[in-house]
Amino acid sequence: MPLRFITNSERFLKIIFGLTLFVVLVMGGLAYRYVKELTKSIDEVQHNYEVHILLEKMVSALKDAESGKRGYIITKDSTFLEPLLTNSDTFQYSLAQLEELTKKNPEQQKNIEELRTKVEKNLAIFQKTLQLANNNNIDSPEFIEAFKEGRRTMNSVRFKIKQMAAHETNILGTSRAKSYKNLNNAPMVVYYVIILSLLILLLTYLHISRSLKILKEKNELLETFKKSTTQSEIISKHGNWIWHVEDNIYEYSDNLYRLLGEEPQSFEPNLENYLSFVHPDDIEKLTQHVEEMKENEDLPFIHYRVIQKNGIIKHFKAYAKLLVDSDGYKRLLGTTADITDEIENYRIIEKRNLELERSNKELSSFNYVASHDLQEPLRKIQTFLSRLEDKEKDNLSNNGQLYIERIKSSTSRMRSLIDDLLQFSRTNKSEEALADSNINILLETAKHDLAEIIADKRARISSDSIPSMRVIPFQIKQLFLNLLSNSLKYSREKTAPIITISYSRTNASALPNVKYSKYYAYHTITIQDNGIGFDQEYAEKIFVLFNRLHNKTEYSGTGIGLSICKKIVENHNGYITAYGNPDIGATFTVYLPIT
Amino acid sequence: MQEDYTYVVLADDDEDDRLFFVEAFEELKIKTKVDVYKDGIELMDALNQEDSMLPNILFLDLNMPKKSGLECLIDIKANNRFKDMAIAIYSTSASEEDIENTFVQGANIYIKKPSAFNDLKKILSDVVTVNWQYHTNGLDKENFLLRL
Amino acid sequence: MKVFIKFDFTQFCSRILDEKLNELNIKYRMLNFGEIEFLESVPADKLKAFDAILKEYGIEKIENQKVILVQKIKDTLIDMVLNANEGQNVKSSVYLSDKLGHSYGYLSNLFSEVTYTSIENFIILQRIEYAKSLITNTDLSLTEIAFKLQYSSVAHLSTQFKNTTGITPTTFQRIIAKRRTLKSN
Repeated sequence: MPLRFITNSERFLKIIFGLTLFVVLVMGGLAYRYVKELTKSIDEVQHNYEVHILLEKMVSALKDAESGKRGYIITKDSTFLEPLLTNSDTFQYSLAQLEELTKKNPEQQKNIEELRTKVEKNLAIFQKTLQLANNNNIDSPEFIEAFKEGRRTMNSVRFKIKQMAAHETNILGTSRAKSYKNLNNAPMVVYYVIILSLLILLLTYLHISRSLKILKEKNELLETFKKSTTQSEIISKHGNWIWHVEDNIYEYSDNLYRLLGEEPQSFEPNLENYLSFVHPDDIEKLTQHVEEMKENEDLPFIHYRVIQKNGIIKHFKAYAKLLVDSDGYKRLLGTTADITDEIENYRIIEKRNLELERSNKELSSFNYVASHDLQEPLRKIQTFLSRLEDKEKDNLSNNGQLYIERIKSSTSRMRSLIDDLLQFSRTNKSEEALADSNINILLETAKHDLAEIIADKRARISSDSIPSMRVIPFQIKQLFLNLLSNSLKYSREKTAPIITISYSRTNASALPNVKYSKYYAYHTITIQDNGIGFDQEYAEKIFVLFNRLHNKTEYSGTGIGLSICKKIVENHNGYITAYGNPDIGATFTVYLPIT
Repeated sequence: MQEDYTYVVLADDDEDDRLFFVEAFEELKIKTKVDVYKDGIELMDALNQEDSMLPNILFLDLNMPKKSGLECLIDIKANNRFKDMAIAIYSTSASEEDIENTFVQGANIYIKKPSAFNDLKKILSDVVTVNWQYHTNGLDKENFLLRL
Repeated sequence: MKVFIKFDFTQFCSRILDEKLNELNIKYRMLNFGEIEFLESVPADKLKAFDAILKEYGIEKIENQKVILVQKIKDTLIDMVLNANEGQNVKSSVYLSDKLGHSYGYLSNLFSEVTYTSIENFIILQRIEYAKSLITNTDLSLTEIAFKLQYSSVAHLSTQFKNTTGITPTTFQRIIAKRRTLKSN
C-alpha cells in the first residue's frame, strides 16, 4: 500500500510538471506574439509618419519653388531661383524614398507614379514660366496661361499628396484596429492562463501536502518498527546486518555488537573485524560460508561459535536472504542469533534424558530382579509344597497339614503381589505396541480368563458393541480383566453380580475434571456393577498404588489392580474415573481419545 | 507310530527345575526319554556333535549363565539341521513383548514355569501331545505356536 | 548269455526275517505269511533297528487296522474342515459315520484309544490350524475367517484360538508377520 502510494505520487508529480511546463511555454509563446504585434504596430506608425514627412517635404519644396518663382518673376533676382534648382533633385530623391517606403503597397506605388508625372509636369511648366519671365513676356497671354497652368498642376500635386497621406492614414487606421483587437485579447488570455496555473499549483500543493502527511505517518511507523526491532533484537538475542552486494559494505545493528560483547558501533563493520571474534575452530567454516554467500548471494542457516573479549564462548546461528529493491540495488539482509541458551538447555535436557534413561534402566533391572529372582524361589517353595502335599500329606499331623495350608495361602498371596507388581511395572507406554484392535474381542478374552469366577458367582455380564481403536491390545485386555475382576471380587454377598459395559462418545469439553485436551472427543467405556460400591470420598484414593479400602481377609486383593488400570488408561492418553455408591454399586468410566 | 517314545531335552541352570522336569516326565504315562543340560554351552555342544540324536522337543530356560536360552534359540534356528526340532521356551516370567519376541525368533512353545507340580505335569503332557499331533498329522510347523 | 531265475518270495522273505530277527536277538513266532508275533516285549530301539533293516530290503511293517481306520477318520475330518461350506453346518458325528460306515461311538472310542485325544479336540485343532493358514496366507479378515469356518462370531473363534494355542489370533498374525520380516532381512 505505501509503495503503491509513493509510485502514484511520483507519477502524479511528473504529470503536474509536464502540465506546468506546457502552460509556461504557452504563456511565453503568447507574450512573444503580443510583443511582436506591438512592435509591428509601432513600425507601421513610424512608417506612416515618415511617409507623411516626405509628403509634407515635397509640398513644402513645391511651395518654396513656387514662391521662389514668384520672387524671381517680380525681382528678377536669380537668388530666388536657388531652391528651384535644388528642388528638382529633392523631388526625385523624395520620390525615390517614398517609392522605397511604400514598395509593399501597390496602390501607393501607382499614386507615386502619378505624383511623379504630375511633379514633372509641374516642373516643366515651371521651366516654361521661367523662360517666359526671362524673356520678359510676363504680361503675355502665354505667360499668364502658363502661370495659371502651373497653379493648376500645383493644386493637383497637392491634392495627390493629400490623397496619398489620407491613404496612408487609412492603412494605419486598419492596421491599428487589427492590432488593437489582438492586443485587447491578450490580458484575458494571460488571466486565464494564470488562473489555470494557480489551479495546478493548488492541486500540486494539496497533493504534496497529503503525500507528506502519509510519508510522515509511514516514517513514524518505520521509526516505531525500528525501535521494536531493536527491542526484539535485545530480547530475543539476535542482531541484524546488511551486506551491500555491489559495494561490498557491511552494516551491523547495535545488538550485533552487543552479542559480541562490544559497545554498539565500536568497530568498523567488516568481515575481518568480525572474524576476529569467531572461535578459531570455526573460522575456516565461517569463511567458507561467507565465500559461498558472496558467490550465491544467499546464506542458508549456519552455526558457529564466537569468543567474546572476556573469554565467554557463545553459539551463533545466522541466516540471510537477498533483497533487490526497485532500482535493482542488491542487499543481503542477515540475522544472527545467539543460541547459547538454547544449546545449553538442549545439553541439560540431553543430560537429564541420559539420567532418566539410566534410572529407567535401573528400574527395569529392578523389574527383572522382581520378576525372575524373587519369583523363582517363591515358585520353588510352592512347587515343593505341592510335592510335599502330594507325597507326604498322610505322614503329617493335623497341625502340620494346617501349617502347610497357611504356608500355601501366604505364598499364593506373595505370588499375586509379585505378579501384580510386575504387571504394574511392565505396563509401559510403547508406541510400537499400538495396533488397531477389536475391543470386543479383547473384552471377550478378558471374560474368558475370568470364566471360572464368572460361573462360580453366576455373574451376568452384558456389553455394548465397542468400535475398534488403536490401542496396546494386551493392556486393554488387562484393563478389562482388572475392572471385571474388581467388580466380581467386590460383589455383594448372596447377590449375583450384574456387570453392564456400555459404550458412548464424549466431547472433550464434557470430560469431568479435565480443562484442556488435545483431542476433540473420547471413546467412553463404562463398567457398572451392583457390588458393594464405595464411599465417593475414596473415588480418587482407590487408584493409588497399594491402597485398599477393605481388610485383606474380607476381600483378597493386592491394591495394585486399579493402579494398573489407571496406568494403562494414561498410557493411552485417556482418563479413568470411579463413582461409588455404598451397597448399590460402583461405576468405572474409561475415556480413551478418538485419534 | 513311527517312534515309540518322544525324546525331550531340557537346558536349565536351576537344579530344582531340572529335578521337577525329570520327575514330571517320570510320573507321566507318556513314553519319553529325557536329557538335561545345565547351561546353553553344554546343550549346544551336545547338539552340535555330528552323530547326536536330536530331541523332538527342546526345552530352553531363558535365563542361563554363559549362553542364554534366546541365544541358543537363535543359533538353533540358523542351523538347518535342527529344523525339525520343536523349541519350547521354559521360563519363569517375562513381559508380553519378550514372550512375543521368542516366538518371532522361532520358538514354538512358551511355557511359564508353573508353581504347582501337577500343573507342570499337565503342561508337559500337553506339549508332548500337541507336538505329536503336529508330527503325525502333517500340520504346518511354521504355524506351530503354543503358549501355556 | 541269458539266464532265467525262479524266485520263491515266501521262502526268501522268511529267510531274511529269520536272519535279521536272530541278529537282533528277538524271539518270535511266524503266524501267517506277513504276520509275526513277538514272544517277549521288544525294546523300542531294537524295534526301530528292525524297521530300518527291513526297509533296506523293501519290506515295510504294516500298521494295524485300527491305525488305518484312524487315519481314515483323520482324512475325513480334515476334508470336512477344509471343505466346509459357508453357513452350512453338518454335524461331524453324522458326517463321519455316513462316510466310514461305522457308528460314531465306535469311531470315537477307537480314535481316543489310538491317538490319546478325542475327535472333538482333533476337529478343533484342525479348524484352528486351518484358521492359522488362512490368517497367514490370505487377506481374509478375522470376521471372514470366522464365518468361513462356521464360528458363530469372531469372539468365538478368538476364544477357541486362544484356548487351543494360548495366544490370540491377532498376536499370532503379528508374530508370523514379524518372523517373515526377520527372515527377509
